[in-house]
Amino acid sequence: MLRATGVSKSYGGETVLRELSLDVDAGEIVAVIGPSGVGKTTLLRLLSLSSEPDEGRVTLDGTDAWAVDETERLALRRRVGMVFQEASLFDASVARNVEYGLRVRRPWGDRLREGLRSVVGGNGTAEAVRESLDVVGLTDETDQHAESLSGGEAQRVSFARALAVDPDVLLLDEPTSDLDPRNTAVIEEAMDEARDRGIGVVVATHDMHQAERVADRVAVLLDGGISEVGPTERVFEEPRDSRTRRFIDGELVY
Amino acid sequence: MPFESATQAIVALSASPALVDLSTLLGFPTLLDLPFREGYVSSIVYVSLYVSLVAVTLSTLFSVPIAVVLGLTDFPGKGFVKSVINTGMGFPSVVVGLVVLFAVSNQGPLGSLDLVFTREAMIMSQFVLATPPITAISLAAVSGVDRGVRDAARALGGTRLDVALVVIKEARYGIATAILAGFGRAISEVGSVLIVGGNITSADGISKTRTLTTAIQLEARQGQYETAMVLGAVLVVLVLAVNAVVVRFGDRGVQ
Repeated sequence: MLRATGVSKSYGGETVLRELSLDVDAGEIVAVIGPSGVGKTTLLRLLSLSSEPDEGRVTLDGTDAWAVDETERLALRRRVGMVFQEASLFDASVARNVEYGLRVRRPWGDRLREGLRSVVGGNGTAEAVRESLDVVGLTDETDQHAESLSGGEAQRVSFARALAVDPDVLLLDEPTSDLDPRNTAVIEEAMDEARDRGIGVVVATHDMHQAERVADRVAVLLDGGISEVGPTERVFEEPRDSRTRRFIDGELVY
Repeated sequence: MPFESATQAIVALSASPALVDLSTLLGFPTLLDLPFREGYVSSIVYVSLYVSLVAVTLSTLFSVPIAVVLGLTDFPGKGFVKSVINTGMGFPSVVVGLVVLFAVSNQGPLGSLDLVFTREAMIMSQFVLATPPITAISLAAVSGVDRGVRDAARALGGTRLDVALVVIKEARYGIATAILAGFGRAISEVGSVLIVGGNITSADGISKTRTLTTAIQLEARQGQYETAMVLGAVLVVLVLAVNAVVVRFGDRGVQ
C-alpha cells in the first residue's frame, strides 16, 4: 500500500538514508528498529509525505506522491496519520484535539458555522472522536483540557487524534519511549486495534522487545539502509545479515 | 487653510469661559467644581479612541499575518528583517509625525488627498507607530509556539493555512499582548498626533483632532490643572479597561 522505493535523503551534505526501500500493507504492523540517530525519524517523514526524498519514490497505492500536484498530494497525505515521540497536543480540550483532523477535512463554510456554534453553546462530541478515545481508554477525559493530562495520557490522546480520521496508514515515531509500562501497554494494544481495523502501521522504535511484541514484520535500519527485513520471529531468531545479528545481540554499539 | 481654522479654533476655545459642572457631565454630584465645556471631554475621548482603535485594528490586520509568515518561514536575511522591526519599536514618534505630515502636505505624495490636520492623518501616523511593536511581539509569540504542534497540525492533514491558524491560536495570549502594547503606544502618543492632527477643536469646543494626550498637554500649559488631571484619569482608566477586556478575552480562549 505505502511503499518507499530506493529513497535517499541528505541533510546539510550528510546522507541520512541511502537507496532504501520499505513497504507496509493494510492490516500489518511493521517495526523499524535501529539505534538512535540512525534516521528512523527521517524515514517516517518521507513515508508521511511531508518531506520529499532526494532520490527514489514514495507511493501510496501506486501513486507517486511527488509526481502529483499539491492538491493531490494533500489528499494522499490525509490518508497517512502520524504520531510523534512528543504528544504536542493543541492548547484545547481533549475532544477538540481529537476532532482536529476531521475538522480540517471539512469545507470552510461548515467550519465557520461550527466555530460560531461552539461559541454559543458547544457542538457535542462526534462519534469518531468518542470511538478513538475509547481505543486508548480515555472516553472519560473528553472535556478535560489537554494541559491537565499526564504525559502518558497526552500521548494516548495524540494516538486517538491520529486514529480519528481513519487513516490507511499510521506512522508512529518512538511513540512510547517517554512512557511508563502501563501507558506503553495501552498504546501497544491500540496498535493492535488499528491493525484489526485494516490500517497499515509502521512503528519506529529503539526498543527491540516492543518490536518483538507488536510487529508482524521487522525492518532493521543500520547505516542509512535497511540491513534486513522479514517476519519478526525470523529476524530475531535467525538474522541473515551479520550486522543485524550483532545489533540484535547488542554487540553493535553506536 | 486648515492652519488658520486651527488657530481660530484654539483662540475661540480659550476665549469662551462657558463652564459646566462635572456633575452635569457625569450625571452624579461631585465635590469638585471643574471647568468643563459641554461635550468637551467626551468628544476628546471619542477622537482618542476612534483614532487609536482604527489604527490598531488596521495595524493588527497588517502585522499579525506578517508575524506569522516570518515566524513560520526561513529565508536568508530574516535576521535583518527582525532587527528592522525591532528598530521600529524605538523609532522617534515625532519623526514619524513629521514624515506623515510631509507625506500629506501639499508638497508630499499624498498632498492631493487634503489630509493635513485630519483624523485620517493621525490614523496614518498611529498605524506607523503601532505596527513595529505589534509585529515584533506577535513574532516572538509565534516563534515560541512548539514546533511539534505545527508538525502535528500538518500530520493531521492541515493545509498551510490550517497550520498558520493553529499557530495563531496557540500564540493568542502573546498576540493579545502585542495588540495591547500597540494600543498603549497609540493612545498615549503625544508628539506625532500633535504634529499631524494639530490639536484642533471646533468653535463650540468639540474636539476635531484633539486627543486626551494633546488636550492634557494644552490644559496643563494653560494652568487648567483640574481639567488636565481629569483627562489624565480618563486616559488611565481607558488603558486599564482595554487591558481588562483583552485579558478576559484571552482567558476565555479563541477555541
